[in-house]
Amino acid sequence: MTQTAALDRPDVLTPLGQETLRRLMRSWFDFERRLGKVPILRRLDNGTFTREDHLALLRNLRPQVVEGARWIARCASSFDRDHADVRSLVIGHAQDEHRDYEVLERDYVALGGEISDIQSRPRNIGTEALHGYLMHRASQPNPVDLLGAMWIIEGIGDKMANNWADQIEELSKCGPEATRFIRYHGENDDSHLDKLYGMLDRTATTPERADAIVKTSKVVARLYALQLEEIDHV
Amino acid sequence: MTAFITSTGRFLPGPAIGVDEVEDVLGLVEGKPSRLKRRILKSNGIETRHYAIDRTGRTTHSNTDMGVAAAEACLEESPLEAEDIGMLACATSQGDLPLPGFGSMVQGKLGIPSVELLSAHGICSSGTMALKAAYNTLRLGDQDTALVVSSELSSRMLKHTRYEAAGGHERMDFQTEFLRWMLSDGAGAMLLESKPRGRCLRIDWMRSFSHADAFPVCMQIGSPVDREDSRTWQDFPTYGEAEAAGALLIRQDLRLLENIVKLGVDGALRLIEEGTLDIQQISHFLCHYSSHHFKGKVYDMLEMAGALIPEDKWYTNLYTRGNTGCASIFIMLDEFLRDGRAAIGETILCMVPESGRFNTAYMHLTLVEA
Repeated sequence: MTQTAALDRPDVLTPLGQETLRRLMRSWFDFERRLGKVPILRRLDNGTFTREDHLALLRNLRPQVVEGARWIARCASSFDRDHADVRSLVIGHAQDEHRDYEVLERDYVALGGEISDIQSRPRNIGTEALHGYLMHRASQPNPVDLLGAMWIIEGIGDKMANNWADQIEELSKCGPEATRFIRYHGENDDSHLDKLYGMLDRTATTPERADAIVKTSKVVARLYALQLEEIDHV
Repeated sequence: MTAFITSTGRFLPGPAIGVDEVEDVLGLVEGKPSRLKRRILKSNGIETRHYAIDRTGRTTHSNTDMGVAAAEACLEESPLEAEDIGMLACATSQGDLPLPGFGSMVQGKLGIPSVELLSAHGICSSGTMALKAAYNTLRLGDQDTALVVSSELSSRMLKHTRYEAAGGHERMDFQTEFLRWMLSDGAGAMLLESKPRGRCLRIDWMRSFSHADAFPVCMQIGSPVDREDSRTWQDFPTYGEAEAAGALLIRQDLRLLENIVKLGVDGALRLIEEGTLDIQQISHFLCHYSSHHFKGKVYDMLEMAGALIPEDKWYTNLYTRGNTGCASIFIMLDEFLRDGRAAIGETILCMVPESGRFNTAYMHLTLVEA
């Protein structure tokens, strides 16, 4: 039995869904521009990114990836029976991603890093803020606004695969065995996007809910960038 | 207060040059054909273009000549004479002389006395910068008429000798060759008046968004090919050394180029959100880029978001007139109007994305009858 049929890609979004998508796109573009100013990513853009930067990036992403499965699982458990269809989808998502960090650890080792270094590294102060906020929102009843968080986090996975991976390989002089995590989210993009459209019509049902989705996308974007600004500040 | 575009003109030098003749005009670098040419020409889809240099590399029309020819074509259709012009606003990415400003040279040749002058510098969006300054000057009531001229002579920078001086094929890659097969020459002009005259375009609004704070340089002349070398062209002891280091080659960072689409969409979404732009009531969309560059995920999202302008409303003459930088939108609007594609009361949205360091300009026009 599946209840996700209602969350398939709709032919046309509701007017509120359309407006919310436009606002989410704006939120994403703002986020991308902010990322353009983050020192470690600026080095990627101007060609001075090094293998050390690559190691630092993985080291600082891992705690959030480990915690990612937790907030998604928490989010799923916060939906009541009226949102069972949303819950099913979120559970599936948590299942998909809950061991992603193992891929990331293997990349770190392939790059010449010590497994104990990455595993013992605590969250940086940006990750603390990001994780704290996500767990807080995920603990609210029916946290539909976390669609805004998924929008940003799915988007960054796509951006890593399509914008960062080749450049990282070139500049840190590594092979694809060290960019598996970075590349991983580039697959199945279209189906992710279709699900998201379905979720948008399902969740952005009132102006207040739409505002909450957009706001959460902005907060998560800001805190995600903070996580990348605060490399190794633990 | 608003302003009206009461006449337009364009000038394209020499005969239309087909894809197969491009390298005959620009010349073979070290006597050998380019390996990347076919691929780049195929992807940009430009079928014909114009050059202000001949097959020996000799300049047939200066940039000033072309700007003046476009201005004369524009004035020819108007009862106004050069003497009646209150403001002259000119744009180019490379004047014939680095100094003085391009506007001074155009004024000198056009013979407009005592004009208020502006020279806008930049790349593709410099034409809209000049246009907006002229529009605002009329809106403020400082002047009643303004002539805006936008002209480009890129081919001089694309001659085989330029690449040979910078190390030839050995130094050339996609970044250095991309624009060689993209850019060409031409000029356009618009006459602005504070009152409508006959069938003319009302400028409803003009806006632009620049993102140089968030992005590195994407299209440039001035830095050497070696990224470790932080000097710019005038920091070299001689211009010869700067040229040898590739600092005078026009180059495009293709990895960054895709941002132009996203930023173009971002600006449109801002204008929709603030209530300035209503996509549903746009009759025609004139864009410096063609719709196929927008295909893909962003296109899909725009469609889902109800913010996509249907393809039958898109107009471009990029494929027959070439990419003439800041002159493109002027040449495009002129041809669009001459073809009689717009009816009274219809609206035109123009979009000019510049990849230099990411600036996107938008202009909303309505065809009116005085």
